[in-house]
Amino acid sequence: MSAVSGSVDLREPAHQVSPRAVTYWRVSALIGAVVEWIIAISLFAFAVPAVSEGPGRPWWAVPALVLALVLPLAHVAVMPQLRFRIHRWEITPTAIHTRAGWLRIDSRIAPLSRVQTVDSTQGALMRMFRLASLTVTTASAAGPITIDCLDRDVARRLVHELTEITGASEGDAT
Amino acid sequence: MSEPDWQRLSARNLLIDPVKVLGQFAFPAAIALVGISSGDRAMPWWAVPVVALGAVVFGVLPWLTTFYRTTDTQFQTRSGLLNKKSKTAPLDRVRSVDLEASLLHRLVGLTKVQIGTGVDDDRITLDSLTVREAADLRAFLLSRRAPVTVPADADTLPAGADEVATPGGVRTGEPARVLAEIDWAWLRFAPFSLARLVVVAAAVGALSQFGDQLPVADTAESAWHWVAQFALSLVIAGLVIGALVSWIMVAVTGYVVQWWNMRLTREAGSLQLTAGLFTTRSITVEEKRVRGVEMKEPVLLRLVGGAELATLATGVGSGGVTAILPPCPRSVATSVGADVLETHEPMSVALTQHGPAARRRAWIRQLWGALLVTAIPLVASLWLAVPTWLPVVVGVVALAFAAVSGESAYRHLGHATTPEHLVVGSGELTRVRTVLEHDGIIGWVVQQSWFQRRLALATLVATTAAGAERVVARDIPLTAAIRLADASTPGVLSPWLS
Repeated sequence: MSAVSGSVDLREPAHQVSPRAVTYWRVSALIGAVVEWIIAISLFAFAVPAVSEGPGRPWWAVPALVLALVLPLAHVAVMPQLRFRIHRWEITPTAIHTRAGWLRIDSRIAPLSRVQTVDSTQGALMRMFRLASLTVTTASAAGPITIDCLDRDVARRLVHELTEITGASEGDAT
Repeated sequence: MSEPDWQRLSARNLLIDPVKVLGQFAFPAAIALVGISSGDRAMPWWAVPVVALGAVVFGVLPWLTTFYRTTDTQFQTRSGLLNKKSKTAPLDRVRSVDLEASLLHRLVGLTKVQIGTGVDDDRITLDSLTVREAADLRAFLLSRRAPVTVPADADTLPAGADEVATPGGVRTGEPARVLAEIDWAWLRFAPFSLARLVVVAAAVGALSQFGDQLPVADTAESAWHWVAQFALSLVIAGLVIGALVSWIMVAVTGYVVQWWNMRLTREAGSLQLTAGLFTTRSITVEEKRVRGVEMKEPVLLRLVGGAELATLATGVGSGGVTAILPPCPRSVATSVGADVLETHEPMSVALTQHGPAARRRAWIRQLWGALLVTAIPLVASLWLAVPTWLPVVVGVVALAFAAVSGESAYRHLGHATTPEHLVVGSGELTRVRTVLEHDGIIGWVVQQSWFQRRLALATLVATTAAGAERVVARDIPLTAAIRLADASTPGVLSPWLS
């Protein structure tokens, strides 16, 4: 994050997510890239000649293809490391604070007294990397807080702790 | 009062429910009938009685199958013939009781009751009770929730459908206080509120779909050519005046129909709004559930000094935003807003602006739009014979509009915090002031795009269960965002403040 003038600053959350998340993000980005490549190549090979007038392809077809091949590669190469550096989380006895994103960075803070549900989810690919995501919801549709790609055991422990803390608070949290 | 008997809806429903069913099925039924009769065979003689019988059967079902009762602790309903459905609401969880009577309902003295329990969008509907039953039920439900209770005195309730607007009400020592009543001088704001223009545009669009097929079209076209020969400017002037006059009539009629007899009162810890000429609505919201207000000044309305006011509440349905005032003078909106909030400061406090970087971003965002709009005729000129002046004119107009809306978007940005409320200014052409109770803030989101990070700006979102569930301060300097969040919810951010 950029330097902030003035006396107030929001310290970043203390913990990073599991280092295995980098590989997980890279693999899932690669899967996405392969799909994009297949679409781009088949468009270039079949669709473009079919709709263009005259022989051969228009001049912009080759640069467009190169762009469509290189951009996903750049995404695969750059995004996982960047995301790992940015994703952070911390849970105190009173509040939860997370930071996520890579181009747009979101910091989310909610007092635990307002938490309504605590879930952990695990996709098939995530399971292969022994990762799990933790989602904490509040009474606001704008307010769910997700910590992506925690170590599975850490996620399990956090769910347990959070359920105990939020179960103790009174009221309907609106 | 343990296990009282189940009660039915009013038997008068038998009069209107078949009519409602007919109304719902009128369109498909008409199509089916036309389809049958335009075929080879003539329409069978039994078609009409079958439709009528069907309407009666389906119309009677809700009355036969719907029951409700109140126990010591709960309000219960059960309904359905094949799919049995039962709903229960703990009495102390009842947050709002709304009454609504359409013209049809009012003819037979009925009212629809909707009970909100604080769980979003899940409201219990009783369609319908008699006016008196509804008023009693509402008084009972609201009094069970309020701390001081005196049962409503049903004898003071005069009969008649109009009395939906002023039912016996809840008596809890404190008398009802009127916060606002319709003042017909406000009617002057009606034409400047464009919300209804959407409806008109849709109607015109639908008509023009059929326009081509009307036999009138040809005649109209030749008449048009004849007129256009000698008086084009006169015709255009006439059309503009005609459109203006009909717009004013539509706007004024809509205003009158919607806001007839408007009354906003505070009673027994609830806000109550009644209004409507044909369909009367009576909305009650527990004040504890009202987390804030939102004042909107759309650009035209602002030119004539008008404003609109809505409350942000939790668990009232309809997105949690309830309009409580028609377009009215700004001073009325601010004073009623102050009454609802019980403090005048949030409505009048000056907002801290977001600074030059935010202004630059507001301008740039609008300029991109202008560029895009200008690009359309430019690109079109590659293929079509577009006159050269067209892109220039479009570009100049788009740039001027971008400059105006960019500057006004920046001026509307702002934030402030008072001892009990967070105040945020937003809107591009419409000036919006959103006031949210500190207590109603559930959490914070600080969003920073790559461009915002370079300028040390952020978009601060206060999440809440009320209204649109978020209050957004766009392009606020990061330090100001953190200070604002810390001041609004002391302690929540402190573990991370340095």
